[in-house]
Amino acid sequence: MGMLELIDISKIYGSVNALRNIGLTVDQGEWLAIMGPSGSGKTTLMNIVGCMDKPSQGAVILDGVNISKESAKNLTAIRRDKIGLIFQQFHLISYLTALENVMAAQYYHSMPDEGEALEALARVGLKDRAKHFPSQLSGGEQQRVCIARALINYPMLILADEPTGNLDEANEGIVLEILRKLHQDGSTIIVVTHDPEVAEQAQRTVVLEHGRIARIIRNTSPGPGAGPSL
Amino acid sequence: MFWRMVKGALFRQKGKMAMIAFTVALGASLSTAMLNVMLDVGDKVNQELKAYGANINVMPKGASLLDDLYGVREGGGVSDKYLKESELGGIKTIFWAFNIVDFAPYLETRVRVNALEDEIKLAGTWFSHHLELPTGESLDTGMVNMKNWWDVSGQWLTDQDTDGAMVGSLLAGRGGIQTGDSIRITSGSQSVSLEVKGIFHAGSDEDEQIFVPLPVVQELTDREGFVSRVEVSALTTPDNELSRRAAQNPKSLSIKEWETWYCTAYVSAICYQIDEVVTDSVSKPIRQVAESEGAILEKTQLLMLLITVLCLVGSALGISNLVTASVMERSKEIGLLKAVGANNAPVSWLILTEILCTGITGGVAGYFAGLGFAQIIGHSVFGSAVDIKPMVIPIVAVLVFAVTLAGSVPSIRYILSLRPAEVLHGR
Ligand SMILES: Nc1ncnc2c1ncn2[C@@H]1O[C@H](COP(=O)(O)OP(=O)(O)OP(=O)(O)O)[C@@H](O)[C@H]1O
Ligand SMILES: [Mg+2]
Repeated sequence: MGMLELIDISKIYGSVNALRNIGLTVDQGEWLAIMGPSGSGKTTLMNIVGCMDKPSQGAVILDGVNISKESAKNLTAIRRDKIGLIFQQFHLISYLTALENVMAAQYYHSMPDEGEALEALARVGLKDRAKHFPSQLSGGEQQRVCIARALINYPMLILADEPTGNLDEANEGIVLEILRKLHQDGSTIIVVTHDPEVAEQAQRTVVLEHGRIARIIRNTSPGPGAGPSL
Repeated sequence: MFWRMVKGALFRQKGKMAMIAFTVALGASLSTAMLNVMLDVGDKVNQELKAYGANINVMPKGASLLDDLYGVREGGGVSDKYLKESELGGIKTIFWAFNIVDFAPYLETRVRVNALEDEIKLAGTWFSHHLELPTGESLDTGMVNMKNWWDVSGQWLTDQDTDGAMVGSLLAGRGGIQTGDSIRITSGSQSVSLEVKGIFHAGSDEDEQIFVPLPVVQELTDREGFVSRVEVSALTTPDNELSRRAAQNPKSLSIKEWETWYCTAYVSAICYQIDEVVTDSVSKPIRQVAESEGAILEKTQLLMLLITVLCLVGSALGISNLVTASVMERSKEIGLLKAVGANNAPVSWLILTEILCTGITGGVAGYFAGLGFAQIIGHSVFGSAVDIKPMVIPIVAVLVFAVTLAGSVPSIRYILSLRPAEVLHGR
């Protein structure tokens, strides 16, 4: 049994069937990519897995708990304890420094710990930019702060919705490298992407079309650097 | 961390926060000014209205009846009823002592002046008389304050000027009397010579009279320690049904009604209380003036209250607009906080703290600006400074709090209903 199980999930917005009868299991430590044309329901799926939305129908079992029946308050607690979120638009708080952005996530989780937050920034290579405000950082750097924030509370599942969508190739490389390391350290990762190169890094790629799983591709040749050399 | 976030939000959004603080300051300053003026306006309006003179007349029992019935102009010592001068301090010890603004006793008699043919009314009075009360307080009271609209050429008498006199303008014109002249006053067999220190224009029949310090007339008429009537200027509440019934007959009231009446500054209650302290006296309101004083005061205060309320409602609306706009602009940030695990309560508390900090800053600034406004109002409307009342501080603090909170309600509701999924994935 996987750490995340989606059982016959549908999401209906009025007349729009954003998701139809999705069934999927994600194992502990797996790296999964989700692809599909715009409007195919990728973000909708991520929101449901990320405890920010509920399916209209079906069950989501995360770490043995059926989260499709929980109250909004419990969902917030589950999200806080188990899930790390990485956004396409980074969503850093503009008036807090990089360090404080990371610490804000600690604050709402448990206790802010400056040393630990600095360490997380060090892991994404931004230790020396800790005191900088988001406006003083490049897009790639902002995304790395966002990743550091997602990691700070040791989530069991990392969700990234188009994490490289706003980045150039060089920065995309850096972010992918970080994700790869996380994966090697045992994190479970789900990445939504339009970029086949990003998808290639994952072990499996789920392709959505019109809210349905069109096909699942198993990557036999994980990309460069995914090997045991790291 | 919490305060780091609050601080960050405040300092990095100075412009918006300054606007909110400014709105709060506007509300706070106007309420401060209005409340200070309102609490002080009693004294102010009272100082203004005192110009219209006394509103209560205190007479000895028998004499007042005569006066009422015949509108008598007393002849030389027409009545043998008098009030005791020594009891007059008691007027300042009644329940409504603080509403007694001024009073002046008169001992009147008819005399001959120089070679003029007709008899002239001579009144002995207090000009600015120093009184030590049994309560340990002291005060100065008399004509100088009560008749402050008199137009005097020369100067006011003092109570020590026992060889001086003030002469009414009509009489002075008729008798060719000028400041500095010496006049001869004859009453029966007695006669004194006085120096004219001032000639006044009062615009009433007082212009036909002569005023001198009280002891002069007491000596002249052999009435040491007595006065024939007292004029009192008191601040009163407008009459209502209860006070009118009480004025007819205080005994017709129930105990409860009687207490209400006694403890309200109705002119009839003040009269009643004066009669309690001055033996054998009957106090009568000079009704018209007494009523209009209270009515004007109440209307002014009501008007100010209304302005205060309106301006507070206005700033609450302004704050609510500004705060809601600012919160909507920050919807992504709020969604993010929720996404990383903040519940509704901590997020609302964070935003509220920011707004309250801003509100308090604005409130303090507004308070001091309001003190300035109050002085401007005082000087332009009343021509004198407004007393600063410390009790305004807690009132304004509570108002600022209430207005800021009320203004934050819509934004807090917005925060509660905000779902992170909807704001974080920009569509
Ligand atoms: N809150 C909503 N109300 C109504 N319709 C919605 C809502 N959210 C999503 N939809 C609809 O559901 C469908 C799937 O949307 P979703 O955002 O999941 O697509 P996506 O695969 O993430 O697309 P993209 O690649 O453009 O991000 C779309 O047709 C969208 O219009
Ligand atoms: Mg999407």
